[in-house]
Amino acid sequence: MDLRDMLHISIGNLWRMKLRTFLTASGVVIAIAAFVAMLSFGAGMQENVAEQFNKLGLFNTMIVYEKRTESDNERRHRNQDDEENIEEDSTSVNDSLVVVDMIIKPLDNEALKLLSKIRGVSLAYPFESFAISVTIDDSTYETDAQALPLDAYKTKLYSELSYGEHLKSDSSKEILLTDQFIKDFNIEFPDSLIGRQLIISAKASSVDSGLYAIVKSDSFNIIDKVKELKFDSLLNKDYVSTVLKTEANDAIGRFVDGYMNRNEIVSDTLIIVGILDNGTGRRTSSKQILIPMSIAEKFNSKGAGRGMMDMFSMVSGGQIDLFNQGSESKSFSKITLNIEQGFLHKNIADSVKALGYRPFSYAQEFEEIQQIFLYFDMGLGLIGLIALITASLGIVNTMVMSIIERKREIGILKSLGADETYIKFLFLTESGMIGTIGASAGIVFGWLISRLGSFIVRSFMEKEGVDAIELFTMPIWLVLTAFAIGLTVALAAGYFPASKAAKVDPVEALRSD
Amino acid sequence: MNKLWIETANLCRHYKRGTSTVKAVDGVDLQIYQSEYLAIVGSSGSGKSTILNMLAGLDTPSDGTVHVDGTNLFKMSRKEIASYRADKIGMVFQSFNLIPHHTALYNVEMALFFDDTPKDERIAKATAMLESLGLGERLDHKPSDLSGGEQQRVAVARALVKNPTVLFADEPTGNLDQENTNQIAKLLKDLNKKGITIVIVTHDLPFAKENADRIIRMDYGKIVEVIKNGGSNGSA
Repeated sequence: MDLRDMLHISIGNLWRMKLRTFLTASGVVIAIAAFVAMLSFGAGMQENVAEQFNKLGLFNTMIVYEKRTESDNERRHRNQDDEENIEEDSTSVNDSLVVVDMIIKPLDNEALKLLSKIRGVSLAYPFESFAISVTIDDSTYETDAQALPLDAYKTKLYSELSYGEHLKSDSSKEILLTDQFIKDFNIEFPDSLIGRQLIISAKASSVDSGLYAIVKSDSFNIIDKVKELKFDSLLNKDYVSTVLKTEANDAIGRFVDGYMNRNEIVSDTLIIVGILDNGTGRRTSSKQILIPMSIAEKFNSKGAGRGMMDMFSMVSGGQIDLFNQGSESKSFSKITLNIEQGFLHKNIADSVKALGYRPFSYAQEFEEIQQIFLYFDMGLGLIGLIALITASLGIVNTMVMSIIERKREIGILKSLGADETYIKFLFLTESGMIGTIGASAGIVFGWLISRLGSFIVRSFMEKEGVDAIELFTMPIWLVLTAFAIGLTVALAAGYFPASKAAKVDPVEALRSD
Repeated sequence: MNKLWIETANLCRHYKRGTSTVKAVDGVDLQIYQSEYLAIVGSSGSGKSTILNMLAGLDTPSDGTVHVDGTNLFKMSRKEIASYRADKIGMVFQSFNLIPHHTALYNVEMALFFDDTPKDERIAKATAMLESLGLGERLDHKPSDLSGGEQQRVAVARALVKNPTVLFADEPTGNLDQENTNQIAKLLKDLNKKGITIVIVTHDLPFAKENADRIIRMDYGKIVEVIKNGGSNGSA
């Protein structure tokens, strides 16, 4: 007797008990369908994220930030405090405020050069953005501008255009708008903008204007200040200290006023050459308009879009050259690295760290996301498995009933020469058939549920004006896993009854009704 | 004298029933020769069916041995005992023991499941066997569509289809009318003439006397009399 004979016998036995087989298999169908539908959702979500990452080229993108580190002085100071605390009293509370002194290694042009030389980095470009006003015809829009080197437009992150073409050079008088810009400002016919002129303008703030305001201000007159001095008290230490503090505070106030309120406007006229497809905000970090590097440098050198925080940051970083605010002293909030295929992100991240910067890798981030998805899938799978275990009890019940009803048949088979292995295999085949039928139908039902879910979600997303995405997917691993689990659980459920059947006493079985 | 085929020594089958012990078979020494027609007779509960089950390897003795062709049956593994049942013996029961949801043909074919006979050959052999027993028109009939005599002939066909050395029959005519009893009796006699050893358990002494070469009468688990047909009597 071969497997085909065994399957034939099993199918015959199950067919004779159609209703019972149907009901038992239904439990498996429901459990597998739930398992498949839920994991299909998990797999769909995962695939979507991976697709988005891949579409945007994030798997070969790394962002580099400045790294803030504790100064050696501060570290020494804190160590001393710790030692003193231990010596004094272990229960004493050191309530003195620790002011952490941070030093920042600037992300400047020097850093850009070093980062671009790391093996495996095909391109390094800074993230430069500032607030800007855009005037098209009579309409003015307040938005953000970003400058990118021409090579950056070759990366997936910035390569897709909805209309028009890319900037011709880093120094062309051209501009790219984005879908996000079109959407935010409700521009009806974006393609009609191609070839038209627009004016970009920004308020400029400079250290010059701040310094100028210290010495020349409506509220400050050096002659009046000299007159106010009490010369007979100049030898009094307290008096001198008070005067210096007051004047220093006044000077800072005048510097800030002068820095912020210079009100000089920097502007330029550019031609719209294209509209970047940034997928209604899907492009991470892309601002609403993109300008050539030369235009950005021009605006930057005049202090366009710079706020007080930028100024403080530059001062604390020691980057500011009060007498020359050219591009050499400029720092960036982050630098994007485009990584060549085949290079390990970890190695590049290590090189970035070695240079004193903080890397952020989307690929490494994706690994963490995958980990989260794994737990998510395990959670969903567990729910399906609980249903499957419940269904398996149905299989156990069916098989036990079958043994009781077919006890005489088992006796006959044994009298004809069937051994225990045969009897066990016969009943395992039957429970396996239930698992096979249940798992196969469950996969089909699970797929149908996922299609229905997908239809509902897509309809809802389209109704809400969001790009519809496929939230459910049925990879082959899911089909195979669901089938394997269905079959395994059915076989496990059938094992105990099959073993029981194999041990039936033939003499007693032949006597039974 | 033909070759000694089966031999039991001090064969016992004792059951525990609460605190007491039932001695279904108690110290039976028996020899069965090749091509012999042996009848075991006795009243209900005398232990005759229990002996048959132990000779077939379906039941395990409490004590004693059964040697088949010189091999101790109960020293064999369970798989070997199953092979012994599949290859060497055929069994016929009082209640026919056909599987009700299968056809006559399939019931007979099942006997060949366990000796690696290919399916086509199984069907051919089963068909030929049923036809030889006059059931050629009943191949696709289920047991419920057959008369008692026909069912028993299907059971005999199932026992014979694998060419057994020994046929064990437990009250094969117990559920049959006289006409069918005569048919089965003739069938068994013919088979024995062809060289098949037949061991039949019956409470019908006249039937045994009419057909068997040797009759063993049992009572309370022991052989109380051995009757050689057409010849001398002897006690166990």
